Amino acid sequence: MPKPSLDYFLADKQGAELTGTLITEACQALRHNRDDYLALVGNEPIIAKLIEVANLWRSPDYELRRQALTASPEETGFPREVLAAGLDACFADWTQEKFFMLLTQEFGDPTRLQSFANQPNRTYSMVHGPQLIAHIAPGNLPVPIFQSIAFGLLLRSAQFVKCATGKSLLPRLFGHSLHYVEPGLASSLEIAEWDGGNEVLESSLFTEADCVVASGNDNSINSIRQRLPLSKRLLGYGHRVSFGYVEKQANEIMGTQAIISHAADDVVAWNQCGCLSPHVIYVEQFGTLKPERFAEMLAEELEMRNEAIPRGPIPTKEAAAISTARRFYKIREANNVGAMLWESEDTTDWTVVYEDEKQFQRSPLNRFIFIKPIEHIEEALHVLEPIRESVSTVGLAASEARMRELARPLAKWGVPRICAIGQMQRPPLAWRHDGRPPLGELIHWTDLETA
Amino acid sequence: MTPFTSLAEVCSAISAFIRCCADEPRTVGFNELALALFAFQFEHNIPYANFCRTENHTPATVADWRNIPAVPTRAFKSLNLTVLPEVDRETVFRSSGTTQANCSRHFHNHDSLAVYHTSLWPWFAEHLIDESTKRLLFLFPEIDQAPESSLAYMMDEVAKRLAKHERCFAADGQWQIDDQAAVDFLHDCVTQNEPVTILGTAFSFVHLLDHLDRVAIEFQLPSGSAAMETGGYKGRSREISKPELHQAITDKLGIASGRIICEYGMCELSSQAYDCKLGQANTTPRKFRFPPWARARIVSPETMGEVEIGQAGLLQIVDLANVNSVLSLQTEDLARRHTDGFELLGRVELAESRGCSLMNLNHA
Repeated sequence: MPKPSLDYFLADKQGAELTGTLITEACQALRHNRDDYLALVGNEPIIAKLIEVANLWRSPDYELRRQALTASPEETGFPREVLAAGLDACFADWTQEKFFMLLTQEFGDPTRLQSFANQPNRTYSMVHGPQLIAHIAPGNLPVPIFQSIAFGLLLRSAQFVKCATGKSLLPRLFGHSLHYVEPGLASSLEIAEWDGGNEVLESSLFTEADCVVASGNDNSINSIRQRLPLSKRLLGYGHRVSFGYVEKQANEIMGTQAIISHAADDVVAWNQCGCLSPHVIYVEQFGTLKPERFAEMLAEELEMRNEAIPRGPIPTKEAAAISTARRFYKIREANNVGAMLWESEDTTDWTVVYEDEKQFQRSPLNRFIFIKPIEHIEEALHVLEPIRESVSTVGLAASEARMRELARPLAKWGVPRICAIGQMQRPPLAWRHDGRPPLGELIHWTDLETA
Repeated sequence: MTPFTSLAEVCSAISAFIRCCADEPRTVGFNELALALFAFQFEHNIPYANFCRTENHTPATVADWRNIPAVPTRAFKSLNLTVLPEVDRETVFRSSGTTQANCSRHFHNHDSLAVYHTSLWPWFAEHLIDESTKRLLFLFPEIDQAPESSLAYMMDEVAKRLAKHERCFAADGQWQIDDQAAVDFLHDCVTQNEPVTILGTAFSFVHLLDHLDRVAIEFQLPSGSAAMETGGYKGRSREISKPELHQAITDKLGIASGRIICEYGMCELSSQAYDCKLGQANTTPRKFRFPPWARARIVSPETMGEVEIGQAGLLQIVDLANVNSVLSLQTEDLARRHTDGFELLGRVELAESRGCSLMNLNHA
């Protein structure tokens, strides 16, 4: 395969100066290109091309994948092994069946994107995506933006992806693979990078876009909300936190080692840096698996995982947070105040803290996990009250029957996603981010009443 | 060195060492004294001794002050890290926190406070006092208004040592600046053509400067005026960068940039670092130095070994003046190591402090 030239998107032109006019013109070109190609293509060809892209990315020899994996962790945010595992997990889900299931889930009938389709009440309806979506890409993980771009293409929307400075490499590489499989698809996609909050550039972008999809901290999302005209739709995804929950009989059904291994999967995936990664794993007391023992076993597992999938170097500031937290728990452990600590030697690679205190504790992440005892789910929900509004995912270790039972109070309490432990960072393609429909919020409907 | 048998003995030896160092900075004996103090604290400070044992660093195994286990400052919030029995805890320095539970507590008695005073004065005087020093405007509460603030104690001692100088304490117990009192005092300095040294936290300076903006007053304070600025913002005012703050102090108060000195300290410490002396040109970046009786090390957060010159890491301090608590501390500050001091790079972000900015006012 010839080496694709990486000079297509604004972000490819390192050092080029961006202006408001340039952004406006780029958006107008995107709309134009969309009308010429994307708006006229059917579901099947788009999905076929997306699958082609996914297959390329899953191939170890694919040049752009190799570029991604050999880039410096400062650029991608992750060492090679962690990134490779994350990319594989993401693209494995890109199948024809799953894309069509997504469209069916969202619209009842996938053809509704192309023409009127009938509804149960004997009317007809059709859906339309925005002409131009502006994405403010999240800074922590690379794959959500791949998915967002794919969804935008399914909705026949032109898309402008804004990345943080120095963080555009993976979106660009993804964009180039789209360009390789079908230039028409890439012609309605633009990728640029600048520091968030640049009012000149963002004002041009927000004027042109019909809809803004932003991921980031609450402050940046609020700032966008304030600058966006009322008529424009904003889908803001703020930072969320997640936790694991091990039911007291789970080990008897699933096997203790299997649960430990799944828990380690969740801690190791993306080095625990996503909103779906657990900060704390609650382990029910009074079962045969003691929470303290769970912590000890998880520490052994994380030590082994670190050999297969090393966490890799992290910025001094993040290592300092781990080191500071560790020392704090060490002195507590030494004084028997309900804490125990297991840690990698001479590095901050992994840390397990067992703590009696049940309150949710935010972890410094990068494979630093808290294990806390809990009596039952009601007690968990009681102590978690302060973070109720920020919870994304709960990873459960329980028999299928118990999982259904536990899911009810969790759902009632407001948890948007409950999954099996080990799957926390592997949401299905059609998952509802923060409990919201993945495509449903982007589109508008046209109803046709013929009677 | 003979082991210490009482706190009074410790205090007297450390005070004597500080006085020697103040006269002759190359005084030898830091390591010996540090080890003796470590042995004393290990014997009488139980939570610290427990920690040292788990670290396998005890007086029996440690021969170098660098290996004395450093306690995280955060631990002062949940453990009573002191050699003082409960009845002798006459004074407590607390960092301001949203609740008592997340305040650091540093206990003192009469003897240890005397060491605190002995330690703070010579290094303060060396950096903040010269022939121009005349009047003093403290943007701090008086000690009776803030009896648990290490900074208020420090300023009280400075005021006492400079008792002949005219002064004004322009903040109340809530750290609110009495704008009118401050402005009147500054006006008087200008009228009388007497230089003034303004001492305050960064947020107090911002409050004062914002007030001057509101009432459209700019001072050209008499030549020889100076400023000592310490600490961060802790959510008590809008935040501006240090260079911006210093520029504003120069622009709105007429204090020359070479006469703006930064102080670094915290309630868990008994010595302070300064980044430059009056009249000396400020270096860029600003580099802090502790007095000879307190030593800073910048350690790698990965290996906990000291970093190379030019590298960044966590700031640890061994402060001999911390007689009755723990002499070796690990701060939550990131710093870069230089040959002639350390450069502050910001605080470690730990989840607990997010959305809780007042908690970090640890030297108030």
